[in-house]
Amino acid sequence: MIKIKNTDILKYWSFVLFAMVVFVSCEEPFTPDTSLYEPQIVVEGYVETGIGSLPAYVFLTKSIPFIASIDGQDFGDLFVKNAEVSVFDGDQTVQFTALCLQDLPDDIKKKAGELLGINTDSLQSNICVYIDLADQLIRAEGRRYDLTVKVDDQILTATTTLPSGVDLYDFKWVEPAGLAIDTMAELRVMVEDPAEEANFYRYLTATERDRQFIPPPFGSVIDDAIFNGKAFEIPLQRAQRRNGDFDPDTFGLYVRGDSAYIKWCTIDKAHFDFWNTRDYAAANSGSFSSYTRVTSNIQGGLGIWGGYTVRVYRLYCPPK
Amino acid sequence: MGFFFRDVLRGTKVMNPFFVLFSLFFLTTVAMGQGNFSISGYVKDQDSGETMIGVSIVLVGEKTFTTVTNHYGFYSLTIPKGEYQLSVSYVGYEPYVIPVSISQNLAKNIQLSEGVVIQEVIISADREERRKNVESTQMGTIEVPIENIKKLPAIFGEIDVLKSIQLLPGVLSSGEGNAGFYVRGGGPDQNLVLLDEALVYNSGHMLGFFSVFNSDALKNTTLIKGGMPANFGGRLSSVLDIQMKEGNDQRYIVEGGIGLISSRLTVQGPVVKNKSSFIISGRRTYILDLVQPALKGGKFEGTNYYFYDLNTKWNYTFSDKDRIFFSGYFGDDILKFRQATRNFYFDMPYGNKTATLRWNHLFNHKMFMNVSAIYNDYRFTFTGGQEDFVFKLFSGVKDWNLKAEVEHYYNTIHTLKYGANYTYHTMTPNTAQASSGEVEFSSNLQSKYGHETAVYFLDDMKLSNKWHVNAGIRLSAFQQTGPYTSKIDFKEYGRLESVKTYGGLEPRLSVNYRINKDLSFKSGVAATTQYVHLVSNSSSTLPADVWVPSTETVKPQRGIQYAAGIFKNLQNDIYEISFEVYYKDLKNQIDYADNYVADISKDVEDAFVSGIGRAYGAEFFIKKSKGKLNGWIGYTLSKSERSFPDIESGRWYPAVYDRPHDLSIVANYNLSKKWDFGAVFIYGTGKLYTPVSGFFLIEQNLNLFYGPRNSARLNDYHRLDISATYTPRPDSKRKFKGSWTFSLYNTYNRKNPFFINYETQSDFESGKTSIDATQITIFPLIPSITYNFKWND
Repeated sequence: MIKIKNTDILKYWSFVLFAMVVFVSCEEPFTPDTSLYEPQIVVEGYVETGIGSLPAYVFLTKSIPFIASIDGQDFGDLFVKNAEVSVFDGDQTVQFTALCLQDLPDDIKKKAGELLGINTDSLQSNICVYIDLADQLIRAEGRRYDLTVKVDDQILTATTTLPSGVDLYDFKWVEPAGLAIDTMAELRVMVEDPAEEANFYRYLTATERDRQFIPPPFGSVIDDAIFNGKAFEIPLQRAQRRNGDFDPDTFGLYVRGDSAYIKWCTIDKAHFDFWNTRDYAAANSGSFSSYTRVTSNIQGGLGIWGGYTVRVYRLYCPPK
Repeated sequence: MGFFFRDVLRGTKVMNPFFVLFSLFFLTTVAMGQGNFSISGYVKDQDSGETMIGVSIVLVGEKTFTTVTNHYGFYSLTIPKGEYQLSVSYVGYEPYVIPVSISQNLAKNIQLSEGVVIQEVIISADREERRKNVESTQMGTIEVPIENIKKLPAIFGEIDVLKSIQLLPGVLSSGEGNAGFYVRGGGPDQNLVLLDEALVYNSGHMLGFFSVFNSDALKNTTLIKGGMPANFGGRLSSVLDIQMKEGNDQRYIVEGGIGLISSRLTVQGPVVKNKSSFIISGRRTYILDLVQPALKGGKFEGTNYYFYDLNTKWNYTFSDKDRIFFSGYFGDDILKFRQATRNFYFDMPYGNKTATLRWNHLFNHKMFMNVSAIYNDYRFTFTGGQEDFVFKLFSGVKDWNLKAEVEHYYNTIHTLKYGANYTYHTMTPNTAQASSGEVEFSSNLQSKYGHETAVYFLDDMKLSNKWHVNAGIRLSAFQQTGPYTSKIDFKEYGRLESVKTYGGLEPRLSVNYRINKDLSFKSGVAATTQYVHLVSNSSSTLPADVWVPSTETVKPQRGIQYAAGIFKNLQNDIYEISFEVYYKDLKNQIDYADNYVADISKDVEDAFVSGIGRAYGAEFFIKKSKGKLNGWIGYTLSKSERSFPDIESGRWYPAVYDRPHDLSIVANYNLSKKWDFGAVFIYGTGKLYTPVSGFFLIEQNLNLFYGPRNSARLNDYHRLDISATYTPRPDSKRKFKGSWTFSLYNTYNRKNPFFINYETQSDFESGKTSIDATQITIFPLIPSITYNFKWND
C-alpha cells in the first residue's frame, strides 16, 4: 500500500493549483504584413580617439523586411558596395575606401577582421566596410566630424563629435554576491565625473580569451544625471553576445586568472541617445510595452555615426 | 479662493452661460404657483436597513410626479396639495404602493423588501422604475446593481465590477483579461473612479488583471460616460461612481467565498439597532502562498506575490436630520522576489488607501446636504539590491479633499444641486535613491503640489410633460504651488507659493424631449477640464506609471462632448432600447514621444508631447431586465484619433483606444430557485499596435524599426464565458446558506492575441540570419469553481 504524506499532498495540490491559474500562454507563428515596408540605408560608423582607438570606418547596409531567414550569400548582399563615403573633420574632407573582406589577401583580411571584430576564418559572406585607410582624419577631442554618404541618388548626412575623455581612476575585484563562486569575480570601477558639463559614457568589454569588444546586452550607456560632478563606483558587467548562452548565475562576472579589457568611451548626447533608445527598445518589446523608436542621427537613413573618446584598460583578475 | 477665480474669470466669457441658466430658473420659478408641499424621506432595504440608491418614486394624482432617491437613499418631491397614490419601485424588490394625502409637508420613510408579487397595480409601479430610460435627462448613464454583476461569469471566479462595465456600449477593455477601461475613445486616466467619493488612482491589482473593488463590500455602481452633470469634474471621459454597503443595521451577517486564487469574508451588523451599523470586508489571494513549500530550499525561496483588499464602513444616525458615515479602503499588492544564488532581492509593494468621512444633514424637507472630508493615498515602492548595493524607488499621489453639496428640491419644476470642492494634491514622481556602501545617490526629483477647486450649480428642470432639462455650470481652477524650480526661468518657488494657475469654465446641458410616454429624444453637451494626468508607455497602465499635475509646462486637458440619442421602451417597458451618437473634441492631450526611454533620473513631464484628439461613435443598447431570461446587447461603432506635432509629423492617427466594432451580449437565465445560468459573448475589432516595419544591422545584431504609430491591428477579439450557480437549499430556513458557482472563461478556447513577439538571430561570420514572429495568447479556456456562503444571525 502506498502512503502519501500530508506534506506531499500539499505539494501536489500546490502544483495543480499553480498550473491551473498561472497564465498558460500559447504561441502561434505570426506573419506580419510587409506591404508598408520601405527599404532604408543603414549607417554604422565610428570615429575614435585615444589610446587603443581605431581608424574611422563606416558599414553601409540595407534594412530588411520581415523574412524568415537569410543565408550567407543574401547576407553579403545587404552590404552597400557602390557608395561614396566622405568625412569633413573641420580642416579637410577625407574620402573613405571601400574594402570587401572576401576580395582582400588572406593576411590583410585577417587584420581587417581583427580590427572590426569579425572572425574571418569562418566568414561566409562578403562583408564590406568603408574605411579611412590612410588614417588621414585628425582624430582629436573637441572636434566635429561631418559624414556624407552618397548611394545612387540618395544622400545621407550625419554629424558627431569627440568629447573630452574621462578616465577610470581606479578599479577593484569583488566577490560575487550570493553563493560563493571561487572562480569568478565582479569588476567595479571608479569614475570622477566632471561637473561643468553633461557627460555620457558607453563601455564595451573583452577578455584575454575573447578579444572582441562587445557591449553588455542590457544597457551599455550611462549618463551623469544622478551623479553629475561626483566620484562614483559602478559595476562593469562582462559583456556577452546577445544570441549567446545566458546563465543568470554567472552573468556579468569575469573569470579569475583572465584579464578584462575595458573600452571606456565618452560620447556626445546624440550618440548616447542612439544607444539609449536602442538598448531600451531591445529590452522592452514585450507584453506590456509599447514601442520605442531608435533615435538616429543619420539624416536620410537609419543607424549611427558616432564619436568615441576612448580609454582602453587591461585589468587582470587574479585567482583566489 | 478669490485669487483663483479672479485669475480664472479674467478673459473668459463667463456671463453668457450663467445668464442663460439664471434666466431659465427665474422665469420658471415666477411661473410657479404657491400652495405646494413636500413629501420626503429615505428608502431602505427592509432586511438589511441599507439605504437604496436610484429607487423610483412616483406620485400619481391629477398630475404625475416622479423622482429617484439620491446616493444616500433620500428623496423629496414638491407637489400641489391633493390625493395621490405613492408608488415606490426598484428592480428585484416588491413594489410599495399606498395612497397619500398631501395637505402639509410629509416625512415618509419607506422600506422595500426583496421579491416581486404579481399584482396589476404593482406591475405598473415596477414599470415606472424602467421608465427612467425615457424620462431622465441623463444620457450615457448606466446604473449597475452589484447583484446583477454577481450573476455574470468571471475569470477565475473573481467577480469584478470593472470587467462588468466593460460589457456596456462605449466602454472598452484595455486588454485581454484586464480591468482597465477606456470610455468613448478617451484614455485610462480620463476616468474618474470614485469609491465612496474617494478617488482611486490605481484601480488594478496584479498588473490590472483584477480590480481593487471587492464586490462583497459594494452596493451600487454608476457609470456616466457622457453628459457628465456639473457636480462631477476633473476628468474628461467618464465617472465611475461606486458606493460601498453601509452594513446591516438589523442583524449580524457573515458571508464570504472560497475561490481558486482568493477568498473573501465580510462581516456586517448593527452597532446600535436602527441607528448604527458597520461592515468589514476582506479579500486576499493565496496562490503563491500555496506553492511556498515547493520553493523552500530552492533558488527562489522567499519569492511571493499576493494582493489584499480591506473595506470598512461605519455609520451612525443621530436623528432623521443627521447621519455620519466613515468608510475606508486599504489594498496592496505585495511582490517579493528572492534569488539566492546571486543574493539578489526586491520588494515591490504598492496600493491605495482611502478614507471618507461624510455628514448628511437635512435642513428641511427640501434641502439635503452632504459634506465630505476625504483622504486618499496611492503609493508605489520598490526596494531591491544585492549585497551592499541598495536601490529604492518611490512614487505616489496623496490628496486631501473637502466637498460640500446641497441638493435643493426647490419646487415641482426645479431640483437644484450646488456645491464646492477643494483638493490639495501631492504628486511624487519616481524618486530614486541608491547606495553602495557609504556612497549614496538620489534622483533629486521633487514632489509636485497643487490646489484644485471647483464650484458648481445645476438645475434639473421638469419644464413640462414633454421637456426635461438639466443645465449646469462648473467653474474649476488649478494652481501649481511650490516648492518648485521653474523649468522656464529657473526661479525657485517656496512652499505654497503660486507657480501657475489654470481655470476652466465647464457648462453642461442635457435636454430630454418626450415624444410620447415610451419614446424620448435626448441631447447634451458637456465641457470638461482635467488637471492631473497619467501617461503610460505600456499597452495597459502599470503600477509604476506616475500621475503628474498640470504645471507651468503641462497644460490641463480639455474636452467637449456632444451627444444625442433616441430612447424607447417596448412591450410594457420590458425592453429598454437606446441609440446614442457622440462626438468628442479633445485638447492638450498628452503622450510620450516615439523615442521615449523610461529614466528614473528624469522628470517624466520633460518627455511629454502634447496634441489634440477627436472621438466619435454610435452606441446601440437593448436591455431586458424582467423575466426568467434577462440581459442586454450593446454594440458600438466608433473612431478615436489623435494628432501630435511631435508624433507622425502631426497627421491624424488612430488612438490606441480605437476599436471600430465592439459587441457584448449578456444573458442571465433563472431556470429554477436552485439553478441560475449566465453567459457573456464579446466581439471586438482587433487592438491597434505599432507594427515592426523592418530590421537593421548594428553591432552585428538585428534591431527593429517600426512603421507608423498604431497602423496595424491584432486579430479580432471574441470570447464566450458561461456560468452556472447552484444553490442546494434555496428555501432553507437555516442560518447558514451556501451556493456553488461554476464558470468557464473563453469557453471555445479562442486564441485571442495578446501581443506579437519577435525573436531575431544573426551571425555575422556565417551570414545566417533568422527572424521569428509569434502571436502570444494568455488566457485559454479557464474553468473555475467558487463556493459562496452566508450566515444570518
